Amino acid sequence: MMAPLYEFGRFGDGTGLLIAVVLGIAFGWFLEQGGMGNARKLAGQFYFTDLSVLKLMFSAIVTAMLGLFWLSWAGLLDLSRVYVPETFIAPQLVGGLVFGVGFATGGLCPGTSCVAAATGRKDGLALIAGMFAGVFLFGEIFPAVGHFADSTARGAWTLPQALGLSYGTVVGVIVAVALGAFAGAEWLERRAERPARRMKIAA
Amino acid sequence: MTMDARRRPGVERAFAVAAVVGGVLAVIAGSPTRPTRGSVDVTELARIVEHEEDHVTATELAKWIRDDKRGLRVLDIRADSEYEDFHIPRATRVPLAEIARMPLDSAGTYVLYSEGGTHAAQGWFLLRARGVKNVFFLRGGLYEWLEQVMNPHVASTTPQAERDSIRAITLWFGGKMTVVDSATTTTPSALDGELSAPHKSDARETIRKIRRRAC
Repeated sequence: MMAPLYEFGRFGDGTGLLIAVVLGIAFGWFLEQGGMGNARKLAGQFYFTDLSVLKLMFSAIVTAMLGLFWLSWAGLLDLSRVYVPETFIAPQLVGGLVFGVGFATGGLCPGTSCVAAATGRKDGLALIAGMFAGVFLFGEIFPAVGHFADSTARGAWTLPQALGLSYGTVVGVIVAVALGAFAGAEWLERRAERPARRMKIAA
Repeated sequence: MTMDARRRPGVERAFAVAAVVGGVLAVIAGSPTRPTRGSVDVTELARIVEHEEDHVTATELAKWIRDDKRGLRVLDIRADSEYEDFHIPRATRVPLAEIARMPLDSAGTYVLYSEGGTHAAQGWFLLRARGVKNVFFLRGGLYEWLEQVMNPHVASTTPQAERDSIRAITLWFGGKMTVVDSATTTTPSALDGELSAPHKSDARETIRKIRRRAC
């Protein structure tokens, strides 16, 4: 049996949506359990006091990346049927900046704002309202900014293509970067937990 | 630090080791797809091709499908849209690239067809290289099927028994047999020469014509 199961017609649209709902709930549940519905905790990464988000993101990336690589290698997954979002360099740089400013200001990203809202946090609800307002506004001004939004298109552009390296090498490098980031994050968090000692040294 | 209380350094270390092993092996593997290696006996293949044992006629294939031949798999290697438009009954659409890695039943009988015959013949070679013994292709491709099964033109001088056999096959697949004067069948064309020179016309147009006339 070859994955992606939906792509190969193993189940229809209805079952696909049902699976999406189950996976979505599980995703939200685990985000909340990991403390990702708490804006203070999320904002902690910008002060280098709590780098849970960085560790969570790298864990997810490394798990999915190794899973996809080895499932494909074992002949259980057709990577050519896995959707790769298209790259638009300039608009995505601007979008990334807007996203970063919003994340640092509100302390939540789109997924975690939904998790926060589900637990009754008002900041989560406010951010979701802002997200929908932004989507609506962007739709309204699209005729004016559409040209920019479609500029510098690179299609489904992957790191192996951009760097001219093999998939395996990129996988190895990203694993190394992730482990380095974990070690660095732990070191930063340990340093943040000992303010008293730091102050003593400073004095 | 409630989060820290839940942390298990042993588990974290195990995950880190697994990631390192997975990453290092990925660098060694290089590509997420394994090359599919096959080998062929070139002399044997040359003999098969020379003795014309590498293909079936459309009529033979039609009989196999009608008689529900055990282990028969008919593979259509044309584009998705062409397959949707028209395909031989029981055929499954399989891109040529997929043939290189799809799971195979070595005891099965595979018949490949494309629009003409070239791609199917290339697919035949791939399957032979992957160790399938009973693999054939439709030499004239879909055109041959349309001409011999869906819309055959039979000379009036053809023996009655043979005509009945062709009519039975054609009717089974929803086609229409036409009996023509023996003098006009010297050129074995079903559609005023269009099928005998298929590459000059668009396949979809031909299928539309066949449908209008026969189906």
